[in-house]
Amino acid sequence: MRSGVPSLSGPLSNRRRFLSDAGLGLGAIALTQLLSRQGLLAATVSGKDPLRPAIAPGQPYAPRTTHFAPRATNVLVIFCSGACSQLDTFDYKPELIRRHGQAMPGREKLITFQGEQGALTRSPWEFRPRGQSGKMISDLVPHIGALADDLCFIHSMKGKTNTHGPGENYMSTGNTLDGFPSLGSWATYALGSEDQSLPAYVAIPDPRGKPQNSVNNWAPGFLPAAFQGTEFNATHPIRNLARPEALSNATDQATRHFLQQLNERHASQYPGDSQLAARIASYELAARMQLTVPEVADLSTEPEHILRLYGADESGTKIKDLRAAFARNCILARRLVEKGVRFVQVFNGAYQTGGEGVSNWDGHKDLLGQYSVHGPVLDKPTAGLLIDLKQRGLLETTLVVWCTEFGRMPTFQKGSQGRDHNPDGFTCWLAGAGVKAGFSHGATDEFGYKSVEDVVTVHDLHATILHLLGLDHERLTYYHNGIERRLTDVDGDVVKPILKSV
Amino acid sequence: MHRRKEVFARARSRSSGSLALRTSLLLASLVLAAVGPFTSRAAGVPADSRSASHWSFQPVVRPPIPTPTFTSTGGSSDHVNPIDAFVSSKLSELHLTLSPEADRSALIRRLYWVMLGVPPEPAEVEAFQRDDRPRAFERWVDKVLDDPRYGERWARHWLDVVRFAESNGFETNRERPNAWRYRDYIIAAFNRDLPFDRFIREQIAGDALGSDVATGFLVAGPVDIVGSPDPVLTAQQRADQLDDMVATTGTAFLGLTLGCARCHDHKFDPVSQTEYYALSAVFAGVRHGERAEPLPQEREARIRELDEKIRVAEAGLTRFTAPPPVALRSATPRPPVNARENTESFAPVEARFIRFTIRASTGGEPCLDELEVWSGDRNVALASLGTRPLASGTLSGYDIHKLEHINDGRKGNTRSWISNEDGHGWVQLEFARPERIERIVWGRDHDGNFADRLATDYVIEAALEPGHWQVVASSNDRQPVASSGKPTGPVYDFNRFPEPEAQEGRRWLAELEGLRKERQQAAQAPMVYSGTFSQPGPTHRFHRGDAMQPREEVPPATLALFQPEQWSPELPEQERRRKLADWIASPGNPLTARVIVNRLWQHQFGVGLVETPNDFGRNGARPTHPELLDWLAAELVRPLSTDGTTETVAGAWSIKHLQRLILTSATWRQSSAPRPDALRVDGNSRLLWRFPPRRLEAEAIRDGILAVSGTLDTTAGGPSFFLHDVDRENVYHYHPKEEFGPAESRRMVYAFKVRMEQDGIFGSFDCPDGSLVAPRRSVSTTPLQALNLFNSRFMLQQSQAFSARLQREAGDDLSAQLQLAWQRTYNRAATSDELREAIAFARAEGVPALCRALLNSNEFLFIP
Repeated sequence: MRSGVPSLSGPLSNRRRFLSDAGLGLGAIALTQLLSRQGLLAATVSGKDPLRPAIAPGQPYAPRTTHFAPRATNVLVIFCSGACSQLDTFDYKPELIRRHGQAMPGREKLITFQGEQGALTRSPWEFRPRGQSGKMISDLVPHIGALADDLCFIHSMKGKTNTHGPGENYMSTGNTLDGFPSLGSWATYALGSEDQSLPAYVAIPDPRGKPQNSVNNWAPGFLPAAFQGTEFNATHPIRNLARPEALSNATDQATRHFLQQLNERHASQYPGDSQLAARIASYELAARMQLTVPEVADLSTEPEHILRLYGADESGTKIKDLRAAFARNCILARRLVEKGVRFVQVFNGAYQTGGEGVSNWDGHKDLLGQYSVHGPVLDKPTAGLLIDLKQRGLLETTLVVWCTEFGRMPTFQKGSQGRDHNPDGFTCWLAGAGVKAGFSHGATDEFGYKSVEDVVTVHDLHATILHLLGLDHERLTYYHNGIERRLTDVDGDVVKPILKSV
Repeated sequence: MHRRKEVFARARSRSSGSLALRTSLLLASLVLAAVGPFTSRAAGVPADSRSASHWSFQPVVRPPIPTPTFTSTGGSSDHVNPIDAFVSSKLSELHLTLSPEADRSALIRRLYWVMLGVPPEPAEVEAFQRDDRPRAFERWVDKVLDDPRYGERWARHWLDVVRFAESNGFETNRERPNAWRYRDYIIAAFNRDLPFDRFIREQIAGDALGSDVATGFLVAGPVDIVGSPDPVLTAQQRADQLDDMVATTGTAFLGLTLGCARCHDHKFDPVSQTEYYALSAVFAGVRHGERAEPLPQEREARIRELDEKIRVAEAGLTRFTAPPPVALRSATPRPPVNARENTESFAPVEARFIRFTIRASTGGEPCLDELEVWSGDRNVALASLGTRPLASGTLSGYDIHKLEHINDGRKGNTRSWISNEDGHGWVQLEFARPERIERIVWGRDHDGNFADRLATDYVIEAALEPGHWQVVASSNDRQPVASSGKPTGPVYDFNRFPEPEAQEGRRWLAELEGLRKERQQAAQAPMVYSGTFSQPGPTHRFHRGDAMQPREEVPPATLALFQPEQWSPELPEQERRRKLADWIASPGNPLTARVIVNRLWQHQFGVGLVETPNDFGRNGARPTHPELLDWLAAELVRPLSTDGTTETVAGAWSIKHLQRLILTSATWRQSSAPRPDALRVDGNSRLLWRFPPRRLEAEAIRDGILAVSGTLDTTAGGPSFFLHDVDRENVYHYHPKEEFGPAESRRMVYAFKVRMEQDGIFGSFDCPDGSLVAPRRSVSTTPLQALNLFNSRFMLQQSQAFSARLQREAGDDLSAQLQLAWQRTYNRAATSDELREAIAFARAEGVPALCRALLNSNEFLFIP
């Protein structure tokens, strides 16, 4: 794989040496001691001491140590944008079926995001027992349902906001406002990556476009830009990845080499300067990515049975075409995890090509019509991904998280055939490394409206994900604007009941 | 300025070693005189005396300058810059010294990058290298500080601090097409060295100071505009907006993380939750949105002139009005009211009061843009004559609709009054003395843009004593209003007159229409995204920061940590902000000067004396050079007189003065070369034994590339250009452009600043998106940066443009081209080795390929 990047190994090793033995490292330590003696360093947060990872400027993605033994080494998030209804998928409520058509008792005057509520409305999809566990899951997602024994449901999720933008921010960054680092950024900031020729953190947008709050879902916020999610999917490659078409490969390589010479000569005047070394190293990593990313994104080597497993083999109808496109993203996700990419985020649903449920899960007006598209597009590829990860043994070390920004109402909106936003009760599920299989945690009330039993906040979920990665969410911090920031702000508890005993 | 520094030199030469003591005595007395009124802490200091004793909450006292223990290596060593005395004294504790001065090409390059954000022209480098005048560098510093590009560079730093962007953020992320005026205001403020205390006041209360654009600061942050009938969401959104204003004001000016006190008392600093909500009350009347900028005075004068001409023209046309004019009115009803202007004539009457009562309108709360009451040729209604208006009520929340607009002599919708009742309302005028009045002129919108809210059923009464009203005019004798909804004017009928007379009438009418058109254009006020203001209701403390759990009412107030002030809950909206601004900008406020001085230092050296520029509280970092910080803060607020004996108000709060001091110090001018001995002790160069080299920020990289390739469009100011293609649906989508031309070649500070979506190439260079304040940018190095800079079409284009420029300027000789390439990218001559290698490479791969490598190289991207 290296052969495509000629004659860079010599200077690289020299640079590594000067990085490690120049006075730089020692000097930094000496000054730190000096400053702390003089009381010049910021005070620590009360309680636990922050554990800020030590990041070598030239190697931001070098693997770094965890706080304690991890249960998972990789995370794969499947994010359903638009707020996927718990009541039509995984949260079975017999009482909702019984009271179908009646007003929700005590909530007759309830005003939610878009306004007044109509009657309680059962799901248009039947729920059936699935797997050995007999978990009730709807006909909207039968393939995922069939894997019920592998999944760990959290039915008592609770959000903080009922608008999509802040909601997606909250699920992806732990804060409703714009500008905070995403979960994947925190994870790679803490841990780096196992593979040094691929990005540490990849965000795979839906084939239909970006989610509602767009790149905020994988933004680095105030963390260094090195930890932003690199955006690409099976159809759109990384921006500026390829050599400019107008240039021959020979010219490109020669230019790279000449640049290297310029930089080496300049760096010799600044021995031990880690920033200069980091930039030189970044061109080497970029050159490696230029080769490895197209390789990993090339699905042509995937055998027929794998394409079939994900539903990437069928086309010809709108649903099949969409499903095949999403399936290819899921295969790409598996290939990235396989290569050791630390954090992969797959999005299902987009705003760009149609909000309000057209291209995403925001089913306000026509739940039956719209979910009849979204369900099949999500279902088989997601199930295929889980099966594939499992059969390759990757589920042992990979944590899969299925989530959405918030839930939906058990009522239909007044004068409408769909459900309004509901941050007070929704479902997420996890699978794989470190979590119980065939397990359900927490519950909403009898109608599936509010989480009432073992309520799990988004911060709790984040704390749990970091915990599984071997990170203490209270100690993983970054100083920004006067505050030692955490993914989980000032709260969050690890959801211990869902953890598999060691 | 130069003289000011000579003082130190003289002071040193006079004394034989006791400079420190002398200066300290001298300064101590100065400080007492200058800061006296502010040194005592008022009552009401926070209970936690431990945190109140924190260094940054103590009054700034100008410390003595340490005795220099070094030999200056600067070019002119006849005097000592106090900065150098402080820095080298600290260094000497670690047995370190300043480095020698950087060579001239590095120095001029550093000066241009740091102060202007673009590299110097080769001719400028050469001129500086040959400049053998005394104080040559100081002269170049002055030149650079006078360069308009200085404002463009330094405005960018401030825009980071105030989280400025031109889209709303969140999922809708819609544009704010008139937000750029605030950006231009900031650029101009830096360029004209607006005193910093004034700069603060204008940004918080510029509407009270004739600087309306400046309050763009208050609303520069993101806002979630997704509306909902859900009261919880609405309350949360409003609370978030106010939090953004309070928190940003706290960090930007005071270096205090006030946002931490939203849910509970601040954990580290003496800021209670109640104080947080007291500040929230200060901003409670501020909302996101645009407002009309007041017209420039000459425009106002022109409008008055036009109004007079229009009045004359209308008077001349009166006799053509159909049906017959007022004088002839009898059984025939008068024409219907029109939105532009109506005249009520009546037999002269002695009056002290008039009252205009509206009983119906064409729709909505009625609006009057001006109410004129004529006594002969005097409009006695004018506020400038002492007439006072009173009304049944005024629609709240709109700056352009206020009661005082009713008789301010300025017409048009943006200077009008609107009642707070649908279809009803009254306005009363009280003259300074009894007047003999005979005519009342009123309109809904003299500019003819609006015809809604027009009073259709009204009565006008006059009184000499209160309560003794007599009707002088009413709508009873008018024809009913045609409900076309379009602005109407009087109808003229020329055909009833003999032809020569009719012709004259038509000519006047044409003239009148021309005048009206001109007036309408003249009255068109530029809109600016600088917020709208209205008198707020009471502010309550929110239990645990939850907008749904209001507790006790909290009146507006300052923080308690310095000279606390608390105000009545009735205090007018604008006054709240004005008073808070005064408190922040007070010369005695211990935080304000320290915080801005530190920011200036940070952008000149890469890191501030306090490493945490937005947190001077207990959880922030301590200053590396506390005495230097205080000396600079004192110098900003009360600079020493030219003879060095007194602190003065002349030149107070001058940013450029501080910057000049820093730039001309030996500390700033020293070489950036590493020294192994010093590296071992202070690897990050925090103690400044050298000038710390650093990578350029996103904007400087892009601007620099355009400057070097010769494609930079230096047009200053005005609406932003776009680095994105925009899909303007309900939700806006921004797609980074892939193709670039002249339209995208201005400096990046003029690029439309989009929240969330970064520029496709330079965004990855740690460019903040304005969602949060960014007091200090991270500098990370990523492979995506390398890909963008090496592979993007933009860079390919620039390499070609650069190559073409080299040929244009250096001719066909390859060696000459490459020498020029080195001069342009690195501001130095190529060595013979470099030249030999470059020639070989360019012969094989072409000059554009060489340019691509140069523009990607570390030497180009680092401030030396």
